Amino acid sequence: MDNPDFTRSGAEAGTPAHGGPHTTTYHVHIDGHEVAVHEQHPTGDALLALSDRKPCAFELIAEFKHRENDVIEPNETVDLADRNLKRFITAHKEIVTITIEGSPYTIERGKRTVAEILDKVGKTPDTYALLEEKDGPPLPLPANQPVDIQGCEVFHYQVQSGGSS
Amino acid sequence: MDYPRAQTDELKPYCTKLSLFTEGGVPFFSLEGLRLPESCEPQVCDALLCPVTRDNYPSRLYLSVKVKSHYDRNWNCENARIGEKNWFAFSWKVEGADLTLAQVLMAHLLGFTKEK
Repeated sequence: MDNPDFTRSGAEAGTPAHGGPHTTTYHVHIDGHEVAVHEQHPTGDALLALSDRKPCAFELIAEFKHRENDVIEPNETVDLADRNLKRFITAHKEIVTITIEGSPYTIERGKRTVAEILDKVGKTPDTYALLEEKDGPPLPLPANQPVDIQGCEVFHYQVQSGGSS
Repeated sequence: MDYPRAQTDELKPYCTKLSLFTEGGVPFFSLEGLRLPESCEPQVCDALLCPVTRDNYPSRLYLSVKVKSHYDRNWNCENARIGEKNWFAFSWKVEGADLTLAQVLMAHLLGFTKEK
């Protein structure tokens, strides 16, 4: 159902005060939650951030009244004053981005082997251990267990320098 | 023995409290509340990292408990008395001359995440 109030023009929603610079607040719906945006042309990245989503795992989709949905790229801007704009939804990407030693790599979401992840940087589990930085310092991952990739994971690698004796 | 500040700082995120003491002329880094790999049980315990040769190992990691992981380890050191506490260590040799303290620690933790 169309809802013309998902975006409101400055005349309806603006809050200029005391003759200061014209500032307009746009009230947009992202995944059913209303958020306030203080610029007319935010980037997809900025809108995702307002819904606590990151572009390494999620994409932003704009829904319009009289045309097809549009995937908004992270650096792409959206005109919130567009009267045809209805709302935004986010979707979990199938191909997500992970970081290995500070560099981004794309990979299919889901259970991935340590070997698949290390292969992104041309390494193998025979020689290198994969470490994941999650809520703390990097810690090694078992080489024989799948890694659940949801996007935005941060990995490091280290030479396999230890062994049973 | 002095250790570079950058290297000791690298150890800090792995534990809740880091300190250094010597016993019998051997240095030990005390890592209280050391975080262990997710596959371990428990996932946190106290530890001592001895970064110099001891018991014929180039370095050793002593733990306050026998940690369970995917792999059976040879716990050939039980109730070693260091710093007035008892410690456990499994047979794990970390080679490499130029490893930082954090890399040495990580190489020991790899003992919980790989077979050999």
